[in-house]
This record gives sequence, C-alpha cells and structure tokens, in this order.
Amino acid sequence: MLELVHLQVLSAALFSIGLYGVLARRSAVLVLISIELMLNAVNVNLIGLGAFADRPAESRVFGQILAIFVITISAAELGLAFAIILKLFRSRGSVNTDELNLMKW
Amino acid sequence: MGAHDLWLLSPQLAMAALACTALVVDLATGRSKLVLWLSLIGLVIPAALSIALWAANPADTLVFFGAASVDRFSLFFTLLFTGVAAAVIVSAEKYASRFQEQRGEFVGLILASTTGMMLLASANELITIYVSLELTALPVAALLAFLREDRSAEAGMKFLILSGVSSALLLYGLVFIFGFTGTTRLDEIFARIGDLQASGGFDSTVPFGSYGLLLGIALAISGFAFKLAAAPFQMWVPDAYEGGPTPVVAFLSVASKAAGFAVVLRILYSAFGSPELAVEWSALFAVLAVVTMTLGNLMALPQKNVKRLLGYSTISQAGFMLIGLAAVSANTSAGSLVAGPQSVVFYLAGYAFTNLAVFLGVIAITNRTNDNTIAGFAGMGRRAPVTALLLAIGLISLLGLPPTVGFMSKIFVFNAAVNSGLAWLALAGVLNSVISAYYYLRVIRAMYMEAPTSDERITLDPSLGVATGIAAFGAVLFGVAPWFLLRAAEIAVRSLSGVAGS
Amino acid sequence: MLEDYFRQYALIGIFAAVAVLVPTGMLLASYLASLARIRPTRPRPPNWRESPPPYLRTYESGLQPIGGPWRRINIRYYAFGLLFVIFDIETIFLYPWAVEYGVLSARFGIFAFIEALIFIGILAIGWAYAWRKRAMEWT
Repeated sequence: MLELVHLQVLSAALFSIGLYGVLARRSAVLVLISIELMLNAVNVNLIGLGAFADRPAESRVFGQILAIFVITISAAELGLAFAIILKLFRSRGSVNTDELNLMKW
Repeated sequence: MGAHDLWLLSPQLAMAALACTALVVDLATGRSKLVLWLSLIGLVIPAALSIALWAANPADTLVFFGAASVDRFSLFFTLLFTGVAAAVIVSAEKYASRFQEQRGEFVGLILASTTGMMLLASANELITIYVSLELTALPVAALLAFLREDRSAEAGMKFLILSGVSSALLLYGLVFIFGFTGTTRLDEIFARIGDLQASGGFDSTVPFGSYGLLLGIALAISGFAFKLAAAPFQMWVPDAYEGGPTPVVAFLSVASKAAGFAVVLRILYSAFGSPELAVEWSALFAVLAVVTMTLGNLMALPQKNVKRLLGYSTISQAGFMLIGLAAVSANTSAGSLVAGPQSVVFYLAGYAFTNLAVFLGVIAITNRTNDNTIAGFAGMGRRAPVTALLLAIGLISLLGLPPTVGFMSKIFVFNAAVNSGLAWLALAGVLNSVISAYYYLRVIRAMYMEAPTSDERITLDPSLGVATGIAAFGAVLFGVAPWFLLRAAEIAVRSLSGVAGS
Repeated sequence: MLEDYFRQYALIGIFAAVAVLVPTGMLLASYLASLARIRPTRPRPPNWRESPPPYLRTYESGLQPIGGPWRRINIRYYAFGLLFVIFDIETIFLYPWAVEYGVLSARFGIFAFIEALIFIGILAIGWAYAWRKRAMEWT
C-alpha cells in the first residue's frame, strides 16, 4: 500500500526535476515554473508527513499549515517575478536567462 | 494569548502598522516627501517600544503559543534594524528621483522588509521563520528592480530566482527537521533531540547522528547561506549590488545579513545546541568561513566598480562573521559558549555602522557624479572633503585597522576562534584581512592621491550628512570604547536559550 | 487485500481503454465513411489558411474567430490574472478560520473576529492600491 516513503521518493524526484529545470532552462518563465515544482515537492512531503507520520494530531497539523503558507507565498513570489519579467521583456524583447548578462564578474 | 502577547510583540506590530500607514498615506496624498519624513518620525515608535521591552525584561518571552520569542536577543536586533531602516530612508531622499515612479512605495517596502527582519530575529518556530524570511526577501527583490535601467531589473530577477531556489532548499530542510522531530518549535526540537540522544536513537558514525537530521540541517543551512551572502550561495551578491539602487543595496548588505545571522544563531543554539551536534556544525561553518572570505576577497581584487567591489567585500565580511559561528567550544566551561555568538552579534552591530558610513558616503558622492567606478572617486578628498573623510573612516573600519570598530570586531571574532581551538581559522582570517587591504585602500588612494576630474565641489545634504556622520562616529566610538556594545551583545546572547543554559 | 488493490487498478484500466476507444472509433468511422463515399468530402481551397471556408474554421460558438490559436495573448490579461491569483490565494486563510470560528471564539472571544478583520483590512489596502494605480482598468 501507499506509505510515507513513497511520498518522500515522489517528493525527492519532483524536487530534483525542479532543480534541474532551474539550472538547465533558458526561459525565465520556465525557470520560475521549475522553482514552483520544487516548492510543490516540499508540499507533497509536508502533507505526507502530516498524513502518515505516527505523531499526535496537533503536531501533525503543522505540516498542512506550512503547506498553505508555502502556496500563498509562492503565488506572491510568482506575481512579483512576472512583473519584473514584463519589465525586462518590454525593454529587451526577450526573457531568456542567458541574456541577463549586462553584469559579469 | 492576550494582552501580554501583544505587548511583547508590539515593536513588530508597530512596524507593520507603520508600513501599512506609509502605503496608505502615499495612496491618499501621493506626496513621497511627506511619506518619507512621516515614516522617519514613525520609526521612533518601534524603537521606543523595543527599549521599553529591553528595560522591562519580562520573564515569559514566548508569544502566540511559542511562535516567537521576544527576548533581549531579538530586541537587540529589532533596535538595529530600526536604525538601519531610518538611515536607508534618509539616504533615499535625493536618490528617489531616479526611481521610475513609485517613490512612495519605496518607504512602504523598506518598512515591510524591516518588519520581516524583526520577526525573523524573534522567530522561534519553523513556520514563522519561513514566512518572515519571505517577507524580508520579497520587498527587497521588488526594490532592486526600481530603477529605470535594465541592470536594475536584471538585479531584481537574479535576486528573486536565487531567493526562490534557496527558500525551496531551506523549506526542504525544515521539512526534514519537522519530520524527524515531529514539532516546529525550536525549544521542542531541542528537547526531542535530547530524548532521542538519551534513548540511543542516534548513530555516532553518521554526521549529526542521523541521515534525516543531516539532510535537514545541511539543506536549511544552504538556504540561509543565501541570506548571509555566504558561499556557495554568493553568486547573486555582486550583480544585485551593481544593478540595484544604492540605498536598497545598503539595506540588503547591512540589515538583511544581520537578520540572516540572527535567525541562524537562534536555530543553532536553541534547536541544535547540544554539544554532539555543535561539534558537527562548527566544523561545517569553519569550512564555509574560509571558502567565503577567500572567494570574496580574491574576486574583489580586480573590480573597477565601487558598488560591485562592496558586493564582494560584503561576501568576505560574511566569511569573517562565519568564523564566530564556527567558534563554539567543545569543552563547555562557563562563559566559553558565549564568546562565539557574542562576537558575531558585536561584529554585526559594528558592521552596520561601518557599512552604512561607506554606502551613505557613496550615495552622497554618486548622487552628483552618477559614476560608480573607482576612477569616478578620484580627487574626492578635495572636491568633497567631509564626505570623503567619512567614507574613508568606513573603509578603514571594513579593512579592520584601529581605532575603528572593524578592528575590534575582528579581534573578538579571532579571539573566540582561538579559544575554541580553531587557531588555523583565525590565521586564515588574518591572512584574508591582509589581502583585503589592497582593494579597500585602492578606493582611499583614488580619493586622496589622484587628481580630480573636475573642480566642482560636491556639497553634502544636511539630512544625509547627519546620517553618514552618525554612522561614521559610531564606527570610531565603538572602536575606541567597545565595552558598551560588547556588554549589550553579551546580554543579548545570554538571553538566547541554549547559550545561557550550559 | 491485494486483490482489492488490483481490482481498483483494473477499473482505472477499463476506464482508460474506453476513453481511448471512443474518440479513435469515431475518427475511424468517419474515415471509413469517407472511403465508402457516405460522408461529404471537405475540399481545401488553395488559400484555405488565409480565408478558410466555414467548415475549416475554429468553432467559436458561431462567432467569427479573431486570429489564430497561437497568437500572443494581450499582456493586460496578466494584471487581472495576477490580481485574481493573489487575492484568491489569500482567502485560503479565511477558510480554516471560518470553519473553526466556533472553537476560536469560545477560546479567544471577540479577538478571533478582530484578527480576521485585520487580515481583511490588510487585503483591502492591497485592493485599494491596485484600484488607485489603475490596475483594474482596460486602457
């Protein structure tokens, strides 16, 4: 049956995919989606811990509370990031991260 | 929960209310100067409340079911952040004309970020730590992108992407800590780890006694390294410093770093302060310290842009502070546990004065010249004698020469390292100080030994001049007579659970 | 126990097979019908991409479609989407508060209510900000 370890493996896989996406993707939008994937991997882990770990109920619920906060804050972060992307796009006509190279070393 | 909680948390609540007020006043009137001076006066309220709480020193410091702990440690940082916010707001008075249009929002966002930092310094629980960390970072990311230039948006974007990645790493670490101990409160984590150690749940062949805890602590420290501007998460620093508005960069380098160190100190001592774990993270920070300061110093050597130079300088200074984190002595004889965190707190306070003097001086000069290169500072000793003097005092303090606070900070940090058996680390620190002389002195040489590019005098605005003067005066005062600040740092650190107890 | 487990997967398998079979069967039937000349053919005029005959147009509930499906969407939708997402997600916090209000008010009295008012008040400042900065106007 489904156990905590399955969710943790799923979470680790999602987190790694997200990290790879951040490092390998060129478009800033896809980089942000990858960050979102990492945060959601954390959420999977948190909710898994809340649902399966053999702890008293009042301590397990903290995992779910943290998950709600993660969702909210990542929405705020994305909103801000897209605003900056728009600003860059208006002046540059591109949102590729490898073209963010006005400053080096 | 009740009136007592509200009274304890009043500095943070006052700061949050002030941030909202600044936004509303800006919306209603649209007069950015009014917002600026109003919030500057308003900053007196959280400062006064912090001083009152410090004096009252209530016995029960936990608020809202243990979510935060308003002890003297957090009050020390609360006062520090309030002062830094005031200096940054003053410094933006003239600089704000370069912003695209949102001059009123600048103040609101700085105050929102300060609220996050104050909460971060008192956070005693993992959820509070995460939320206040994001409240600290997000306004700063917006502020970095405030200038019209593309560089500014690029700085904001880089900061935001790396902040997102690092907060994901931090969260993953926090999840492991939560999963391992089953609680989010730092004091309960400490107790749970103690129980596990007593019942033989720890494997002495594994670092930190268990792979779960190892992963949790390592990931959480990676996440915090971003805030501290420590290796290996220092890549964003020079770009953000070069591209962002200078007042925001000053805020980032002083307040954001102090907030990061405050929360790391609290987590390390309150949650992972048991001697078996302390040995492990001490070794980790020793390595990080050497890598961070060497990297920062070597990369700073060829820089031509002053803001970028200060970016690398801030990395190397973070390395020196990390020495103080590593300095936790294995033999816990009385008082020896205090020296390490005390030196870090002292360093942070001294660094606030020092770096504010440097950044405010740079703002005062570049407001007129609009030239951030070192060559642009040539002959400022003649063109702007007062500003150049204050800036030079700041740079000498960054370099760590007497009679400045930078010298004293380094003495205390190295002393703490030697006393905990890390003499090699202190030696690496001394060597790095010598390397750093090259680039700090280069700016001073440009100001005093090189011919000016024009004869136009650069006058100092009164408000900015007062702020720079206070910062530089503090840098000298606490270098000559550090005892007051040192004592305050000791009281602050002793109120941290996990330091005083042993 | 284990048989029950596999039976659930079998149900999903049957469902997936039906979901694949129905549309492919319809397409195949249509193709066979055109081979048997029961279905009318749909000739493509040379310039069908520029001015497609009605039977080749994208179905838009009887309206003339404007532009192709891959054209760039107006950036102004972004501001609305953003406002929606942020305010939508903020209300997540009101939901558990509303569900547990009885417990909260029994324990903390009127403060449980004031707390939510403060939360909504801060949201209202954000909303007023967006309104004042003309983020909700289509100009």
